[in-house]
Amino acid sequence: MIGCYDFCGHYEWTFGWFERVGGHPLVRAYWDEAINLDSQSHARDLIKADGIPGMLKYWGHTLLEESPDLGFHISHREDVFRIDFHQCPSRGFLLRNDLKNYSDYCDHCMGWTGPMMKECGFQIDHEHNHRGQCWWEIRPAGTPGGHAPVGSVSGDKDARLLPNWLAPGAKLDRYTKANDPDDKTP
Amino acid sequence: MTNPTPGSLPYTDTKPVGSADFYFAINSTFRFILGRLGRNGWIRYLTDLGTGYYAPVNTQWQQGGLPAVAAYWRAFFAAEPGGEVEIKELPDRVELHVKVCPLIKHLRAHGRVPVKEFCQHCYHLGTARAGAAGLTMRLCGGDGSCVHTFALPAAQLPAQDRNQIKENLQ
Repeated sequence: MIGCYDFCGHYEWTFGWFERVGGHPLVRAYWDEAINLDSQSHARDLIKADGIPGMLKYWGHTLLEESPDLGFHISHREDVFRIDFHQCPSRGFLLRNDLKNYSDYCDHCMGWTGPMMKECGFQIDHEHNHRGQCWWEIRPAGTPGGHAPVGSVSGDKDARLLPNWLAPGAKLDRYTKANDPDDKTP
Repeated sequence: MTNPTPGSLPYTDTKPVGSADFYFAINSTFRFILGRLGRNGWIRYLTDLGTGYYAPVNTQWQQGGLPAVAAYWRAFFAAEPGGEVEIKELPDRVELHVKVCPLIKHLRAHGRVPVKEFCQHCYHLGTARAGAAGLTMRLCGGDGSCVHTFALPAAQLPAQDRNQIKENLQ
């Protein structure tokens, strides 16, 4: 039986398997069709119906289950929903267990949330450092501007204020008003 | 929080029990592979997963024999939410009597329909893992309750009767 306890391990392994079998298009299709449209259909339903309050309901529940030690912080206003991950439970699992079968595990989040948010009328500003720390700001599509200044949405919980945000080994991937996992700029 | 099951699970987390909503993604992954690559592609995925990702478990089983198999499954089910499983250690085999499968239970409770081949994944994955450890694996039942047998070759289990693995109700 495949379990949920080490889900992030075999999930990441599966990305690498898809890459070998069908290349990058199959990995992208998996994130969109299997995760966005099928597995996480409850997230899409909530966000499509309620917008930012729906995001709060979905991630409030999911992240508490995945990260009971609260390695994250959620901020929200009428015009923006933000999550700061200080210790991503998923990436952290891989780092602690020294698991790597795919080139960039962190891409999977944009791989399924990007298309979902597009369908729901939102765009994403995001950065991750590949060390289990990242931040997300989700705003209605068409909102002008680039990344918000550090601390302007989540105050002192902003992941960019963490002392190890740019530690040795950290490599930033950046998305600006994006919905596509390949729209990142290093 | 410390590792709840030192030594028995090769990959460990800081929380004692996994998040059951991940079961949705396991079912969706199967549906995606079956749709894109067909049944043979799905079996290849499970076989590769069994010999690749689970290689550290297979090594534990190969080196530790049936006690290691039993210890692994005890630790495994302790970390899965909602199951009811009895593990029997016999001289030539370990039997997992799954009275309530945590995966099927959670999917059904949330209105998710398992792919009809769902329970066969335990056979294909289990066979790959057992084979790598020098053991044999058989499965009987499915769709919520079943018996897995991991045995020494000397047990000379009869060949797997595929009709004994239930398809999942749609």
